[in-house]
Amino acid sequence: MRIQVSVPLLLSDSTKGRTKFELEAETLREALERLVEEYPLLKVHLYTEQGDVRKHVLLYYNEDNIAWLEKLDIPLAEGDKLRVLQAVSGG
Amino acid sequence: MGKRVVLLIGTNKGVFQYTSNEERKEWKLSGPFLPGWEAYSVLGDSRNGNLIYAGTSHAAYGASIRVSDDMGESWRQIENGPSYSPESGFALNRIWQLVPGPASEPDTLYAGAEEAGLFVSYDRGENWRELKGLTSHPTRPNWFPGAGGMCLHTIIIDPGNKQRMWVAMSAVGVFRSEDGGETWKACNRGLSRVPTGQPEDEVGYCIHKMVIDPNDSNTLYMQEHGGVFKSSDGGDSWFPIEEGLTLKGDDAPFGFPISVSPTGDLFLVPLESSEQRSMKGGKMLVYSMRPGESRWEPIGDVMPDEERHVSVLRDAMTVDSLDPYGLYFGTTSGEVYYSLDRGVTWDRLPGQFSRILTVKPWIIEE
Repeated sequence: MRIQVSVPLLLSDSTKGRTKFELEAETLREALERLVEEYPLLKVHLYTEQGDVRKHVLLYYNEDNIAWLEKLDIPLAEGDKLRVLQAVSGG
Repeated sequence: MGKRVVLLIGTNKGVFQYTSNEERKEWKLSGPFLPGWEAYSVLGDSRNGNLIYAGTSHAAYGASIRVSDDMGESWRQIENGPSYSPESGFALNRIWQLVPGPASEPDTLYAGAEEAGLFVSYDRGENWRELKGLTSHPTRPNWFPGAGGMCLHTIIIDPGNKQRMWVAMSAVGVFRSEDGGETWKACNRGLSRVPTGQPEDEVGYCIHKMVIDPNDSNTLYMQEHGGVFKSSDGGDSWFPIEEGLTLKGDDAPFGFPISVSPTGDLFLVPLESSEQRSMKGGKMLVYSMRPGESRWEPIGDVMPDEERHVSVLRDAMTVDSLDPYGLYFGTTSGEVYYSLDRGVTWDRLPGQFSRILTVKPWIIEE
């Protein structure tokens, strides 16, 4: 399934200069795995050394923060969105 | 053959670059490079072409090293940069220092990190590994972060013995290695201990910046949280060198950077106190101690006609290697000043940045 991915401009030197691109995956879990496989430079910016999503990074699957989801083995539909966002915590 | 003089400026919003010739009268400003990233460390390296390295970080997105081979016009992120293992429990928050390896190893670079740790690359910065002897030191459980984070901000390699090196860390102290960074000894005897709340008295010393004497590898100087100190035995012991630095009450002379010229002139930018951390009375005074002397003198009033209630951070003062040498510093309010007469008279470089984190000279032979 082909989904739409977006990342902040600041991270675009990890994604070949692009802020929007497509990714092929069957489930959300696979999409998250493929994202850092295809763009390994992204991994250090999204995840801690222990593999947790960084405190001020949000990964959104359509309108849901993936941290809210009970499971990641969600079948993807054509046109689903995976967004990397920076948490706004004031300012 | 002439020389191009480059001054790299790392700020909390990108990297900037001044360029001049040996005269250093006219400067051309370029940048911002890597906008949006904070650059706690920069390094211009001419050992293999002309490369600029930047230790970039961001509160949300962590830290990595970026490199440019076209004087900053384009940058590439290092894929196998410094990183801690998942098992270590440590986080790589910032790269505070990037320094070239010994002269005989033109492909070697060292990086100092926050959380405090030391990394080395033997292939021009492409692949890095942690020198784990430091973070596995028996005192490590008692290392405790200061207000600026637990950062390894100073790396000094003995110019006469590449196996001997020193590192300095905020709120932890000085460590020395005699075997190229594999094993380390704490070297903090005589320093002022800061209250970290930890019981281990081998550590808990808040080094702000440390330099090595250009003519004697056993002589080191430091601006510490609790004063200004010198060692004449390679760091085995330290004693205060504070004569001439005005003290208020029981306050120790406070500041962040210390610099030494190729001729042995020492420079400080004292601040009001640990609590206030800005120029005393808004007076931007640079102090110097000349070789062979034992007293600090206020040699340069940088802005005699205006108050500047700002600070200079630990890596934001530097000296170039030309004759006469240039002395430079950047402020927390984003101004860069320089002197070509041993710190006596000063000019301001054009441009205003955000908070200046690091200032590094780079002399390119042309």
